[in-house]
Amino acid sequence: MFPSRFDYSAPDSLDEALATLGQRADETKVLAGGQSLIPLLKLRFAAPATLVDINRIPGLDVLEESNGHLRIGTLARHNQLAADSLVGRRYPTIASAAPQIADPLVRNLGTIGGSLAHGDPAGDWGSVMLALNAEVVVRGPTGERRIPIDDFLVDIFTTSLNEDEIVTEVLVPQPEGSFGGAYLKLERKVGDFATVGVAVHLELDGDTIARAGLGLTAVGSRNIKPTNAENALGGNKCSDELFAEAARLAAEAADPVSDVRGPATYKRAVVEAYVKRGLAEARDQARARAGRT
Amino acid sequence: MTPTKERTIAPPVRGGVGTSARRQDSVPKVKGEFAYSSDLWAEGMLWGATVRSPHPRAAIRSLDITDALTVSGVHAVLTHEDVPGRKLFGMEIVDQPVLAWDEIRYEGEPVALVAADHPENARRAADRLRVDYEELPPLVDPERAVEPDAPQLHASGNLIRHARIRCGDPAVTADVVIEGTYETAMQDQAFLGPESGLAVPAEDGGIDLYVATQWLHVDLEQLAASLGLPQDKVRITLAGVGGAFGAREDLSMQIHCCMLALYTGRPVKMMYSREESFFGHVHRHPARMHYEHGATREGELVYVKARIVLDGGAYASSSTAVCANATAFACGPYEVPNVQVDALAVYTNNPPCGAMRGFGAVQACFAYESQMDKLADALGMDPVELRMKNAMSTGSAMPTGQIVEGPAPVAELLRRVKEMSLPPAGHDAPLDLRSLPGGVSNTTHGEGIRRGVGYAIGFKNIAFSEGSDDFATARVRLFAAGGEPQVEVHSAAAEVGQGVGVVQIQVARTELGVERVTLLPADTTVGSAGSSSASRQTWMTGGAVKSACEAVRARLLERAAGELGGSPSDFSMEGGKIVSQTNGIEVSIADLLGRDSIEETREYRHRKTYPMDPETGQGDAHVAFAFAAHRAIVDVDTELGLVRVVELATAQDVGKAINPLSVEGQIEGGSAQGLGLALMEEIQVSNGRIRNPSFTDYLIPTVLDMPPMKIDVLELGDPEAPYGVKGVGEAPTISSTPAVIAALRDATGRALERAPVRPEDVVGLTEREVR
Ligand SMILES: Cc1cc2nc3c(=O)[nH]c(=O)nc-3n(C[C@H](O)[C@H](O)[C@H](O)COP(=O)(O)OP(=O)(O)OC[C@H]3O[C@@H](n4cnc5c(N)ncnc54)[C@H](O)[C@@H]3O)c2cc1C
Repeated sequence: MFPSRFDYSAPDSLDEALATLGQRADETKVLAGGQSLIPLLKLRFAAPATLVDINRIPGLDVLEESNGHLRIGTLARHNQLAADSLVGRRYPTIASAAPQIADPLVRNLGTIGGSLAHGDPAGDWGSVMLALNAEVVVRGPTGERRIPIDDFLVDIFTTSLNEDEIVTEVLVPQPEGSFGGAYLKLERKVGDFATVGVAVHLELDGDTIARAGLGLTAVGSRNIKPTNAENALGGNKCSDELFAEAARLAAEAADPVSDVRGPATYKRAVVEAYVKRGLAEARDQARARAGRT
Repeated sequence: MTPTKERTIAPPVRGGVGTSARRQDSVPKVKGEFAYSSDLWAEGMLWGATVRSPHPRAAIRSLDITDALTVSGVHAVLTHEDVPGRKLFGMEIVDQPVLAWDEIRYEGEPVALVAADHPENARRAADRLRVDYEELPPLVDPERAVEPDAPQLHASGNLIRHARIRCGDPAVTADVVIEGTYETAMQDQAFLGPESGLAVPAEDGGIDLYVATQWLHVDLEQLAASLGLPQDKVRITLAGVGGAFGAREDLSMQIHCCMLALYTGRPVKMMYSREESFFGHVHRHPARMHYEHGATREGELVYVKARIVLDGGAYASSSTAVCANATAFACGPYEVPNVQVDALAVYTNNPPCGAMRGFGAVQACFAYESQMDKLADALGMDPVELRMKNAMSTGSAMPTGQIVEGPAPVAELLRRVKEMSLPPAGHDAPLDLRSLPGGVSNTTHGEGIRRGVGYAIGFKNIAFSEGSDDFATARVRLFAAGGEPQVEVHSAAAEVGQGVGVVQIQVARTELGVERVTLLPADTTVGSAGSSSASRQTWMTGGAVKSACEAVRARLLERAAGELGGSPSDFSMEGGKIVSQTNGIEVSIADLLGRDSIEETREYRHRKTYPMDPETGQGDAHVAFAFAAHRAIVDVDTELGLVRVVELATAQDVGKAINPLSVEGQIEGGSAQGLGLALMEEIQVSNGRIRNPSFTDYLIPTVLDMPPMKIDVLELGDPEAPYGVKGVGEAPTISSTPAVIAALRDATGRALERAPVRPEDVVGLTEREVR
C-alpha cells in the first residue's frame, strides 16, 4: 500500500530538526533509516503529518571512545557497527549482535537510534544495551538528557522519549579487566526477527565476575534486564553451577507469549539454554583475553 | 529437387531424448526477462480485486455495494447476482460458489469483485463493500465433522468420500503388533508467482484469458459454464507460470477476471498479493492417521489396519482422488496379505484442500514409514532390512488386488541408498556456523549436538487413475524455411517450471531428426493435454508428441516414395534427409517439402484403469507407479530442538531420463519440498483462521536449509511408456519427509509423530493447541 500524504523536511542541523519537530510534535515523526517507520506508513499503522529526516545532519554517526564511554551516534548503521574494528576488539556483544540483525539491505540503512526509539521488544539492540548498561542521550527544546537504557525502554513500542526530543547518541561504558560477550539469537530463518535473543556481557577479575550484564529479546513487552540473574553472578567465581543458576533466574524473568514463532514454555527454555551458553562463551573469551595480556 | 547418391553417415540430432538439452525458458528466467502472468499488461486495462470474508463460517444477511461504487475510478462491483451462468464450480464435485451468497464456509471466501482504473482504487472500493455477516461457530475438527450431530456444511453432508480396502482376513493375528497415530499438517504449495491473469473481451462476445494454470481445458469447461458462454467463445492461453505444485489445478481468479472483463468491456488484470494467495488456492490436506501393523517374529508383515482422516476444508476440490490415493498407497510399497483401510475426506470450515505434489501419498507415507521404523525397533531388526524383507516387486499384488506390472525396484533402491558413503562425522575446525543447527545466529558451537540417520521409501501412481479418460493431444508440423527443415510443436501442456516444454522439443528432435524445433504457446486451439500433475506430462504429452511425429514421418516417407518411387518402407529419415534403403538415394527434407508442410495431430492414451470398489477397494486403479528412497542425515541441537540436515541421499527409478538435468532438478526440488514438510512448512490454522499467511511466517527451505544431495538415478524402463519413461516429480517429495523425521528420532529418541517437527517437539515442550 501507499502511505498517506505527509510533509517532508530534511534539515542539516539538529537545532533546525528540533524546531520543526517542536511545531507539531504530536503529528511529526523523525525519520532515520526508515526500516521500521516506512513499513508502518505503508501499512497505514502510522500517518504522521510531517517527517523530519535526520540523515543529513552531520556528526550523528560518531563512533569513538571518549570519557570512559563508547559514543555511538544515533545514525550509526547496523552494518557500520558490524564492520567497525574498535567495536570488534572491545565490544564483542555489539559485534556479535550487529550482523545478526535482519538482512544486508536493512543493515545498510537501519540505525541504532531508530531501533531503540522504535521500542520493539523483538529488536536486538535493546537487549545488547541492557547487558552493557548503556545510556541514551536525547536532545529536546530544553536541552540534553541522559537516560539509562533500562528507564528508556518502557513497554511495547513505548519509550520514555518525549515527542519533541531526538535521540543523538548511545553511550556504552568501556569494559574493564578481562571481558567477553556474545549475542545469541534464535531465528526461524536468516533475516528473521528473534524468536528469542540473549545478550551477555562479562567482566572478570581473575576468575571472579566483576560485572555481569544480560538482556533478553522477544520474551516480554519490552527487552528485559534479568537483574536477579545479574546479581547472582556478580562477585562470584565462574562455575557451571553458577551459570546454570543464573540461567534459571533469567528464564524466570522472561515473560514470553505463545505465537507463530513457538510456545511460551519453549521460548523460556531457550532463554535458559542461551544464558548458559552465552555465559560460557563470554567467560572463555575473557579468559583468552586475560591470557593475552 | 536434386537427389544425390553419395551416402554420408548422419550424426544423431543434437538435443534429442536423453540429453540435458537447454530449456526454452531457462535463459530468460535466469536473466529476469521471462514474462510471468503477473507481468501481463494491456492498453486501457482495469484492475480487479476480490472482496473476501473475514470469517471462517457465517451467514450473509445482506450485501450493499452502493458505497463501493462511489469510489473514484471504480468501473464495476459484482456479486453472486452477476454470475452469468452456473453459480458453482468444482473439478470433481461442483460445490464451490463463484461468489458466496448465503453461507460463508471458509476464511477468505470470495464475496464480491471490483474493477477499477488502479489497484489501489480497487482495494479501496473493496474496503467499502458492506457485508452484514452473522458469524457462526466454525466446524474445524474433521473427526467431529463426521459425527452424526455435527452441523452439516453442505446439503450432501460432511463426508466427501469414504474409501475402503478390505483385503484378506480381517481377524488375522500376529506375533508382534505395534500401533501409532500420526499427523501431517497443512502444507502450502508456496509457488512464487501469485495467482494472476489478464482477461480480454473479444468482439464475438467471447473472452480471451491469459493465465497461469495447470490444465487449460478443465479451466475452459468451468469458465464456459459459469460465464454462460459456449465453449468455443472461451479461449485460454497459458501465461508464464511461477510454479504450481497442484495449487493451480483449481480455479482461483479465472472466472472472476472474465466476469469483470465481460461486464466492463475492458481488459481486466487480476493479481493476488502474497497474503491473498494463501486464501486464494487449496492446500495439502492435513491428515490424522491411526495405524496398526502386525508381523511375524521374523519380520514378515501379516496385516496393516489404518484409519486416515483427511481434512478437505470447505469445498471438495480434488479430495475424492486424494482420498483414493491415501487409501491405495496406505501400506507403502510392501507385500501385505491382510489389509483393512478406511480413509475419509471430510468437509470442515478450514481452508479448502486439494492437489499438492504427492497427492495423498505423502501423508500415508509419513505414517507407514514411521510404523516400519517402530516395528523394526520392536523386532530388534535393522529398519532397512525389515523394509527389504517386505518389499514389493514386479508381480506383487497391491492391497487393491492390482498386480504391479512395471519395474518395482523397492529393495534395490533401499540397498542403493544404504550403501552410499556416509558424510564424515563431526565438524572441521574452524567451525563454520552455517553447518550447525541454528546457523549463523550463533546458537551453538557444538554443545548438545547429536547426529541421526533415517531411511524411507515411498511410491505413488503416475497419471490419472480410477478409470478417468486420461489423454493428451499434440500437433506437430514439419516444414522447410531457408532450406532447413523445421518443426513446430503445439500442445496445451502447461509448462509450470517442471520442464515439459523442452521434453516436447527433445521428442520431436529425436523422432524427426530435425534440430530446429519450436514450441508454440500452450493454448486451447489445440486439444487438451490434461493436467500438469500426477507426474504425467512427460509420459502423456511426450507420448502425444511422439505419435504425432510418427504420423508426420509416415506421411513424409509416403511423399518420398511418391516422388522417388518405391514404397514408404524403403525410406528412412536421417539427419534432415530421406534416405532410400534400397538404392541409397537421399533427398533433403527441405527439398522434398518445398513450400508444403506436413501437420498431424494425435491423442495419446494410456492403458485403461478402473475404479476402486467402494466396499473393498479392489480394482486396477493405476497405470504405473514411481518409487523413490531417501536416506537423511541430521545434526540436532538436543537442548534447543534446532536441526541441520547434513545430507540427503536418494535413489529413484525414472524409467528413462529424457532430460537428465531436469530429472536432477525435480529430484532436488521434490526432496526440498519434503524436507520443508518435515521441518518447517505448515499453514497454522487456528479455529478456521490462517495465522501465518506470509513468507515471513510460512517458512520454506532456502539454500541454507538444503544440504548437499547424493542422487542415484535408475533407468529401468517401463515397457508400456514412450521411451520407458516414468514420472519424476512427485516421488522425491514422498519419501524425503519420513526419512528426515526418522533421522530426528534416531538422534533424539523421541516419538515425533507429527510433521512438521517443530523445535519445541524435539525438546518435548509441545503445547497442544486449545481449540
Ligand atoms: C525485514 C526487516 C527485518 C528486520 N529484522 C530485524 C531484526 O532481526 N532485529 C532488529 O533488531 N531489527 C530488525 N528490523 C528493524 C531494523 O533494525 C530497523 O532498522 C530499526 O528497528 C529501526 O531503525 P531505523 O533507523 O530504520 O528507524 P526508522 O524506521 O527511521 O524509525 C523508527 C522509529 O524510531 C523513531 N526514530 C528514529 N530515529 C530517531 C531519533 N534519532 N530520535 C527519535 N526518534 C527516532 C522514528 O520516528 C520511528 O518512530 C528489521 C526491519 C526489517 C524491515
